[in-house]
Amino acid sequence: MSAEWLFYVFSVLSVLGASGLVLFRHPMSGAMSLIVTMISLAGLYALLSAKLIFVLQLIVYAGAIMSLILFIIMFLNIQTIDLPEEKGRFYYLVGGIILISPIASFLIKVVKSLPGSEATIVGSGFGGVKEVGLVLFQDWLLPFEIVSLLLLVSLVGAVVLAGKRRLNK
Amino acid sequence: MHDFLSFLPFLIIGAGAILLMLLSAFEKIQVEIASFVSMGFFGAAFFAQLLVGCGPEASLFAKVFNGMLVSSNFTMVAGLIILGCGFFTAVSSHSYFKVNLFCTLEFYCIMMFAACGMLLLTMAQELITAFIALEIMSLSIYILVGYDRANVTATEAILKYLILGAFAGAFFTMGTALIYGGAATTKFVEISTAISSGSASQPLLLAGVFFVFVALLFKAAAFPFHAWVIDVYEGASAPVTGFMATALKTAVFAVFANFLALSGELHSGWITFLFWVSVLTMFGGNLVAIGQSSLKRMLAASGIVHSGYLLIALVAISADHFTGSAIGYYLAAYAVSTLGIFAALSYLGGEGEKRATFDDFKGLAKVRPYSAAAITVFLLSMAGIPPTAGFMGKFYIITSAISAGQTALAVLLVVSSAFSMWYYLRLIINMYFHEAEDSFESIGSPLAGAGTLALVVCVFAIGLYPIVL
Repeated sequence: MSAEWLFYVFSVLSVLGASGLVLFRHPMSGAMSLIVTMISLAGLYALLSAKLIFVLQLIVYAGAIMSLILFIIMFLNIQTIDLPEEKGRFYYLVGGIILISPIASFLIKVVKSLPGSEATIVGSGFGGVKEVGLVLFQDWLLPFEIVSLLLLVSLVGAVVLAGKRRLNK
Repeated sequence: MHDFLSFLPFLIIGAGAILLMLLSAFEKIQVEIASFVSMGFFGAAFFAQLLVGCGPEASLFAKVFNGMLVSSNFTMVAGLIILGCGFFTAVSSHSYFKVNLFCTLEFYCIMMFAACGMLLLTMAQELITAFIALEIMSLSIYILVGYDRANVTATEAILKYLILGAFAGAFFTMGTALIYGGAATTKFVEISTAISSGSASQPLLLAGVFFVFVALLFKAAAFPFHAWVIDVYEGASAPVTGFMATALKTAVFAVFANFLALSGELHSGWITFLFWVSVLTMFGGNLVAIGQSSLKRMLAASGIVHSGYLLIALVAISADHFTGSAIGYYLAAYAVSTLGIFAALSYLGGEGEKRATFDDFKGLAKVRPYSAAAITVFLLSMAGIPPTAGFMGKFYIITSAISAGQTALAVLLVVSSAFSMWYYLRLIINMYFHEAEDSFESIGSPLAGAGTLALVVCVFAIGLYPIVL
């Protein structure tokens, strides 16, 4: 029972955080509400017995990545005057909601079609480091390996787009 | 052994990309050398792919990779097109970057990484692998689009493309999650069994497939999601635009066809949806193309139209005996003519691509008759005039649509081709029936010109190949 309540609390918090990210004008407030979303997502993972993902979510996303984002925002020192004037952003918002609402109602219908089931605690060890590692390196070796290519591309790309250039002489 | 050989082109390209990445740390190596290196690797991989051939459908390294990669004749053809596109893009970049000086060695490295992602995408038979491959490809393309940091249009293009691409990626992941919820697997083979078993989780599968379609249609620039393509193509430099328009489209349509062909029920359930998407894509693209005055924007819009034709081919595939021959052939035909035009633009565009509109190419035939003739051949191929490759490609799509019972689509394709003559002929008329106001000097290297010539030969070779056969 308490698990169900926790689920509702975390879901509402994560949606609120996400909408705050979109609605706040100042990037710092946006980043702060993103942290709320990240932490409540970690709570949802914990409810699903995904221990490793829960820890990674807290350490990597809510911890490392968010502090990097905050660091960059502080580094840029954005004041309210620097922000662009967004006229009619609420009209865009309303338009977006109207555009998205059919998809949302479709998704709600899909979710409603699911048969209800009781939440149970899955077997011991599920979602732990060892179990995730075994699955990752036995069944999911190829995706794991090609992610390294993806990281390499983003690394080189960051250097190219932001770094100093040695141009064709 | 067969597994390794089928995987060899990917390994060659990957090794080349990493080699170039390391080389770019050295002060002495010039950009020209990098372009030759990448040409060499693309050529080697192309011939490896060609020599290995491919027999029937076979899962690559089934034990280690768990059946996530599958090679077949279709993936081989798609791989050949992608590698060929990479080669010719390296050729035209060599000339382009003689005049436009913003290139570094990493350009070629990232282009080869993009080709890696595309090759993986064509072979992927599992949604998470497909997603990662899609992201490798897209991320590299974003970087290539925004390579010219001093150019405001390029910066706008990369921002638009990045945000919209992230949107499409999110849809893909959501679709994957829903499919996993419905079928408890992300492998194509097992999804097909889950669909045919008709379990209670059909709504989840339906929603999942819909979202995956949305992501793929976005990448293929089909109708409701086509708006980004015109600005992005305009902002990117000419060789990159050519690479995007051809190789990226090939990879996306390959994975789209593989996904659709996973089960006959999936395919037949979505025929009506794809029917309307393809009709709207064709005519929407035509309407956009007619109004353009910039050549690159016109080519972007005509790329949308060609996506519509390819969607017709997707409607007409038979999922039970999937060969994808019509799609593969059309992709090859479209790739050579589009690459050809962009290769020509690479050396005719001049510094900072100053010649960009229809008017800028007035009287090209008087000053540079061979270049004008080559562009004419490419345009006629895109419009579908015999004996070019484009005609045979359209012919195959029409016959496969009719044999699949989609006569209405075949008729609409012909009507749309007739419309598209308007903007293709407009450029030809500008080139031939006006006096030259420009001297069309090209200070770049002659490589792009040679590449254009080779592509003209390819247009006829691919067009005549089925007849000779």
